[in-house]
Amino acid sequence: MKPDPGHFLGVVAGHLMTRTAPALPDPYEQSTVGILGLMLISVGEEFERAASRRVDENQALRRLFADAVPAVEDAELRGRLEVAATGSDGDLKVSALEASNSALRGLLIELHAHVEELESAPARRIEEAIWRELVASTERRRLAMGPF
Amino acid sequence: MPEAQDVRVENLERIFGGASRETYRFTLVWCAAGETQSRPLILRRDPPGSLIDTDRAVEFGAYQAFHGTGVPVPEPLWLEEDSSWLDHPFFVMEQLTGFEASPQALMAPPYSDHADKLAQQKWAILGEISRADPKQLGLEAVMEPVAVDVCWQRELAHWESEIDRAELCPQPVIRAAIRWLRRTPPPPAQKLSVVHADFRTGNFLCDSDGVIHAILDWEMAHLGDPLEDLAWGLNPIWCWAKDGRVGGLASREDAIRIWEESSGLRAEPDALHWWEVFSSVKGQAIWVSGAQEFTAGKNQDPILALSAWLMGNSQDRAVLHALGHLP
Repeated sequence: MKPDPGHFLGVVAGHLMTRTAPALPDPYEQSTVGILGLMLISVGEEFERAASRRVDENQALRRLFADAVPAVEDAELRGRLEVAATGSDGDLKVSALEASNSALRGLLIELHAHVEELESAPARRIEEAIWRELVASTERRRLAMGPF
Repeated sequence: MPEAQDVRVENLERIFGGASRETYRFTLVWCAAGETQSRPLILRRDPPGSLIDTDRAVEFGAYQAFHGTGVPVPEPLWLEEDSSWLDHPFFVMEQLTGFEASPQALMAPPYSDHADKLAQQKWAILGEISRADPKQLGLEAVMEPVAVDVCWQRELAHWESEIDRAELCPQPVIRAAIRWLRRTPPPPAQKLSVVHADFRTGNFLCDSDGVIHAILDWEMAHLGDPLEDLAWGLNPIWCWAKDGRVGGLASREDAIRIWEESSGLRAEPDALHWWEVFSSVKGQAIWVSGAQEFTAGKNQDPILALSAWLMGNSQDRAVLHALGHLP
């Protein structure tokens, strides 16, 4: 798709912020259009990585679950982790990837809460791996315009 | 204004921002004693959906309580809770003209030349709020009192329930932070204080000489632990200048020192740390709530979506930083 959608969105954002907004008589509408421009820049940033960051993250979470299974003491949770660990992303549409990502991240919350309650060395190792993944997942979602 | 006749509204204009209330400036014109008079005013109206759902009587009460004290606020004038007049409840207050609030503007000249002066006033005013006696101010009538040893529980339960209600996708970072907060409760509050609850650069009006003229946006005000306010203002998502200065104005150490001197209270490091982690949970609850309102179509102001994208990720980074997992 040419021009690249990310490039196109950047051009539209620039137009909205430097030409359309200043020409509007109402300051409130000027600000609103300026915000729309900023949003398009962020959409362009996300467009480029939308599928890859979800695929990467889903794979990372499945690996983490597979590693965690031996340390999990709750049989029911262990069973669900085993099933999730063997999953894959056949449908690469962003909506499908997002649905699997939400399911995996929901399970991650359960796993994290579970290992926090355990005192074994493997549990500590899994907990540390979870924190590393939480940092990585936050970095994957980072937007250039974010304040921190 | 029982003597007023021919009352009319002129120059009505909506002010951008204020995602929790619609804010309008206008000039009220009326005749009294045979003379035409006018006054610039602000109208704050409940929107159909917002980042936060709060009682406008609380915000109005806070303005009433602090007006004329060492905490500068606009004069509150009228509160109308009957929705039949403007479709939603609203209140009207004095409009202070010619001042700046935008954090981006304050990071640039001429305001940035007065960063130290602004920081001194900002954190000293917060100290005044923390030091104030809610009972003496009459605020216990509009803000629910809470025991000093459970302030944290009430606030955490409130914002956790907001995330439970509004989250559109799992929040593993914030859920981990909530569990940490429950495992390591803070000590009881040193006193029951008025908590502004959104005390940050962007919510005060100042002039180009660096003088603060009003503290705004009291819609989340409540009674609680004064460290809640200090911690909120220290959150790195408000480091607008991206140089480590909290609120874009001062070092963290200076901000805490100024607040301690003004409030007469102590920011005990472990307790403050608890409230700093909490501040990111609360922040994320606000961004999640805005995303939900936008997605549900209750309020499609684009600032709600942009806040959810930009602030939501930064808030996760902030809590990872506070918990020692991110530099």
